[in-house]
Amino acid sequence: MNRSFPVLVFRITLGLLFLLLAVSLFRLQVLKGEYYGRIAESNFVRIRRVVATRGDIYDSKYRPIVLNIPSHNLYLTSGRIGNTEKLAVFLKTHFGIEPEELRELVFEQRFKTYEEILLADNIPYETILTLSERMGDFPELTFRSGTTRHYLYPNHFTGYVGRINEEEYKLYREEDYSLNAYIGKTGLEHYYEVLLRGRDGKEIMQVDAQGRSLELFSENTSIPPQNGLSLILSIDNDLQEYANSVFPPGIKGCVIVADVETGGILAYLSKPDYDPNIFMQKISTEVWAGLNSPAKPLLDRIINASYPPGSVFKTVTGSKGLETGVINRHTRLASCTGGLKIGNRFFRCWNAGGHGSLNIVDAHKVSCDVFFYDLIQKLDLDAVASHAKACGVVEKTGIDLPGERSGFYPDRKYYQDKLGLTSGLNGYKANLAIGQGEVLTTPLQMNTHYAAIARGGMIIQPHLLVQTMGSGRITREQLQPLAKHQLPWSASTMQTIRDGLWAVTNAPGGTARAINVPGATSYGKTGSAQNFMGNVTHAWFCGFIETDKPDIVITVFMENAGGGGAMAAPVANKIFNYYIGNLDKIRQPAPIPAQFRTSEERLEEPPEPVEDPVPALEAEAVATTEPPQQEAGEGAR
Amino acid sequence: MIKRKKFDFMLAALLLVLILSGCVAIFTASTTTIGEYTTTQSHWWKQLIFAGISLGMIFLLIRLPMPVLDLIIIPAYLLNILALIVVLFTPEVNGSHRWFSFFGLNYQPSESAKLLTILVVARAISRDNLTEIKQILYGLGLVLVPVLLILIEPDFGTTLVFFFALLAMLVAAEVPLVYLLLLVSPVVSMVSSLWWPAILIWIAVLVVLLLWSRLSWVTTTIAAIINGFIALIMPVFWNGLKDYQQSRIVSFLNPMADPLGAGYQIIQSKIAIGSGSIFGKGWLLGTQKNMNFLPEHHTDFIFSVVGEEFGFIGALLLLTAFILFFWRIITDIGEIKVRERKIASAGIFAYLMFQTFINIGMNIGLVPATGIPLPFISYGGSNLLFNTLAVGVILKYLNERGFMK
Repeated sequence: MNRSFPVLVFRITLGLLFLLLAVSLFRLQVLKGEYYGRIAESNFVRIRRVVATRGDIYDSKYRPIVLNIPSHNLYLTSGRIGNTEKLAVFLKTHFGIEPEELRELVFEQRFKTYEEILLADNIPYETILTLSERMGDFPELTFRSGTTRHYLYPNHFTGYVGRINEEEYKLYREEDYSLNAYIGKTGLEHYYEVLLRGRDGKEIMQVDAQGRSLELFSENTSIPPQNGLSLILSIDNDLQEYANSVFPPGIKGCVIVADVETGGILAYLSKPDYDPNIFMQKISTEVWAGLNSPAKPLLDRIINASYPPGSVFKTVTGSKGLETGVINRHTRLASCTGGLKIGNRFFRCWNAGGHGSLNIVDAHKVSCDVFFYDLIQKLDLDAVASHAKACGVVEKTGIDLPGERSGFYPDRKYYQDKLGLTSGLNGYKANLAIGQGEVLTTPLQMNTHYAAIARGGMIIQPHLLVQTMGSGRITREQLQPLAKHQLPWSASTMQTIRDGLWAVTNAPGGTARAINVPGATSYGKTGSAQNFMGNVTHAWFCGFIETDKPDIVITVFMENAGGGGAMAAPVANKIFNYYIGNLDKIRQPAPIPAQFRTSEERLEEPPEPVEDPVPALEAEAVATTEPPQQEAGEGAR
Repeated sequence: MIKRKKFDFMLAALLLVLILSGCVAIFTASTTTIGEYTTTQSHWWKQLIFAGISLGMIFLLIRLPMPVLDLIIIPAYLLNILALIVVLFTPEVNGSHRWFSFFGLNYQPSESAKLLTILVVARAISRDNLTEIKQILYGLGLVLVPVLLILIEPDFGTTLVFFFALLAMLVAAEVPLVYLLLLVSPVVSMVSSLWWPAILIWIAVLVVLLLWSRLSWVTTTIAAIINGFIALIMPVFWNGLKDYQQSRIVSFLNPMADPLGAGYQIIQSKIAIGSGSIFGKGWLLGTQKNMNFLPEHHTDFIFSVVGEEFGFIGALLLLTAFILFFWRIITDIGEIKVRERKIASAGIFAYLMFQTFINIGMNIGLVPATGIPLPFISYGGSNLLFNTLAVGVILKYLNERGFMK
C-alpha cells in the first residue's frame, strides 16, 4: 500500500531534486575544486569602496586654501594576520602604533575581517621604499595611495578633517561612512561636511594576485563615486596674508575684515594660530603640548570666546538714549571731572583730568565714560538689554562655522537670581554703559554691529561661503538665505552715531587719530576694556571706511595689549590703507578656472587676452595646481 | 483494522541528527580567528536552547488531545493572518517588515503561517464530496491570503514555499494531474511569454494535453483564453515597469548580472564551497568563512561553511541525512490513512523539502538568492521552532489512535 500514487510522485521528486544538488556539488567541489581553491587563496573577490574626492576650498579668486594631495596609507586586513606578536613589533618600530591600539582596532571589527582597516596615513615615500622588502612577511598589510588634506596656511576657519571616531560612526553610519572615513572635525570642514564629502562609489574586485581578471562576472559593474563640491569663500588670500603680517607678533587677539555690502568675510585672523596640517599626521607629544599651551592657539578668538567690549560698546548705550528721547544730539550730560559719583561710589573716567560737559558726538570722540554713566541712569535696564540684543552684539551672528558663542548682557532678572538684588543697580548699570561689568561679546558680534552701522542699519548674517563649484554650483543664498534685519535706529540716531564715529578717527582729540586713510572717509571707535585676565586692558578697534567703491569694516581685538587707540587702531589703519591701495586688484573678479568651467563656458571663454597679464598669470597658477589634483582623484580609485 | 499507537523513532532520530548538525555548523560559522586569537559568538548555544524548547514543544504537542488540536487550528490561522497584517506596521529592518521583536527575540509571523496554512488547507480540501475544481479553488483561496500579505512585506522567497506545499497537498488529495496542469499553466505562460515562439509552442501543447485528457470544450477554451491573455499582457506589463524594477527582477533571476548585490553573495558562496574541494579545509579552518566575505553566514549561507570546511564528503553526508529524513516522511505519508492528516503531512513534507532544496541550490549558485534559511541547520529560533513543530505534527498523526482508519 506504500506504492500509492502520491508517494511515488514524492519519491521521484525528492530523488530528482537531490540528485541535481549532488551533481552540482560534485561539479563545484570535485571538478572545479582546484579552480575555486586558487581564487580563495588570492582572496581578491570583494566589493571595494571607491572613496569620493573631497571638495577643495578656495578664496574669492579661486586661489587654493585647502587642497587634496596624494598620500600613502597603510591598511591592515585582520583576517589575514598570521602572527600578532610579530605584527605588533613591526608596527611599533616603524609606525609607532602601540600594541594595545592595534588590538583595539582589530577587535573592534573582528567580524568584518576582510575589510581593510586604515592603520597609518601620510607615510613618507622613503619609508615605503625601505619597508617594501619586509612587506612580504606581512600579507595582512598593504600600502595604498589615497589623498590627504593640505591646508595652505594656518587659520581658524577651515578647520580640519580626521578619522571618524566611534561616536561619529554610530551617528552617521546610515549615511554610508566607513570605519576608515575622514570627517570634518571643526571649522568649515565640519560645517559644510555634507557639501564637501561627496558620495563614495563601489566596485567589484575580481583580479587575482597577478592582476589578471578572474572573469567571474561578465560585466564589471561599478557605481562611480560622486566627488564632493568645492567651496568658494569670500576670503581674500592677499588681505588675509596682509592682516597676518601686520598683526604684532606675540600678541593674542584677532582681526576681522568684512565686506560692508554683502557681509562676506574677507579676512579672518585669530592669533596665535595653528597649522591644521598637524592634525593630518600622528600628533607628537611636543606638538600636543604646544596646542594646549596657555596661549590657546586652538581657540578661535573671533567666535569661540567672548570678552568685555569696553568703549566699542558705547554706540549701543548711546543709540538707546537717542531712541528713547532721553537725550538728543545736543544734550549735554553731567560734567566729567575725571569721574562721576553714583550713590556713594565714585566711578572713574579713563581720563583723570576730566572732559567737562559733553554732547553725545563729543562723548564718542573722546570716549568719555561719565557721559554714558549718566545716560544709563536715565534708562531702564531691561530696555537697554533688549536693545543690545536687537543691535546684534549679544546674539549669535549665525556665521557658517560651528561652535559660535553668544554674548551676554544682564537684565533685572539676572541680578535678582544671581545676586538677589531688586534695587540699587545703578552702579552695575554704570559699568554696563561703557561695556564693562557683566557684558560680554565676541569680536565677530562687534564687527557685525559696526558693519550694520556702515551699511546704514541693515544687519546681515556674516558668512564665509559664497558658492560651491564642481559638480554643482550652489550659491550661499540658495543653500540658506542670509538672515537680515534692521537696527532699531531712526535715521537721526544713525546720523548722530555716525558723526560720533567720524569724529573718533578724524576730529582733533579723537581717540583713533591713528586712522588716516587717504581716499576714503573713515569711521571707528576704540575700546580699552578692563578684564579679569590681567591688569592690562584689552585693546579694541571697530571701524569702517566709505568710498565710492565697495567698502570694508574691520574689527581688531588684542587680549591684554593696552589701549585701543594705541594698539588696535594702527593695525586697522594699515589694513584700511592696504585695501585702498590695492582696491582695484582686490575687487577685480577672477575668471572661473578651467576645472570648474561648464562646457558652455569653455566655448564662450575666448583665449586669454595677451594685454591683460593678471588673469593669464592666474590661469597659469590654476594650471599648476591641477595635475596633483588629478593624481589625487586617481589615487583614490 | 488494527488500532494502535506508534511513535516513529526513526524520524525523531533523523530530526535530532539534523538539529545537532546545525548546532555544530553554527559553532564553526560564528567562530573567527585573528592571528592566534579565536572567538566564537554565542549563536551556537542559543540555538541549542531553541532546540531544547522546540523538542519540548513536540512532547507537549504529542500529549495534546487530538480534538484540542483540531479545535485550535482555525483560530490560530486567523490570529496568524492578523499578525501578518500587524507586522506590516513595524519599523523597517533591512528594507522589509518581517519581524516582531520582543526581549531580543525575533518572531516572523510568516514562519508560523506556513505550518498553519497547510493545516487549514488540509482541513478544507479533505472534506467529502468536493469536486476537483472546488478543491483547487479552496486551497488557492486559503493560500493567497497569507501569500499576498507576505508579498507586501516584501518576502518573495517565502511565498514560493506556499505554492509548492499547495501543489503537494493537491497531489496527496489525488486530484487528477490534468487539473494541476491547469493550475500551473498560467505560470508557465508568464515565463514563456518573454520569447514568442516558446509561448506558441506552449499553448499548442497545453490545448493538445487538455483535449487528450477529455476535458470539456468549455474548460479547454477558457484555459486557452486565460493563458493566451496572460501571454499577451506580460510584455505590456514588463515594458510598463520602471528600469530599476526590471533590473531588480533580472538580478533575481540572474544574480550574476548584479555583481554588487546578489551576485556577490552567490559568487562568495561558490568560492567557499568550491574551494572546500573533496575533503574540505577542516574543522574551524575555513579561510573564506574566516574573512567574513558573506554577511551573516550562520543563517542563509550556512551550507557554504559546511561545504568549505567538510568538503564534498561532508556536504554529501548532510545531503544524505536530509534524503533519509524526507524519505522517512514520505513512507509515513503512505501509512497515514486519515485523509486530512495525509494531505497535511504532504504539505509539510513539501514545505520542508523545497526550503532545503532552494537554500542549498542558492548556496551553490543553482537557484536565485531568496533569503530562505536551511531547515534545522540555519541559525534562527522561530524558524527552528516551527520547522520542528511541523515534524512534530507528523509524529503526532502517527502516534494517534486510529491513524490507520
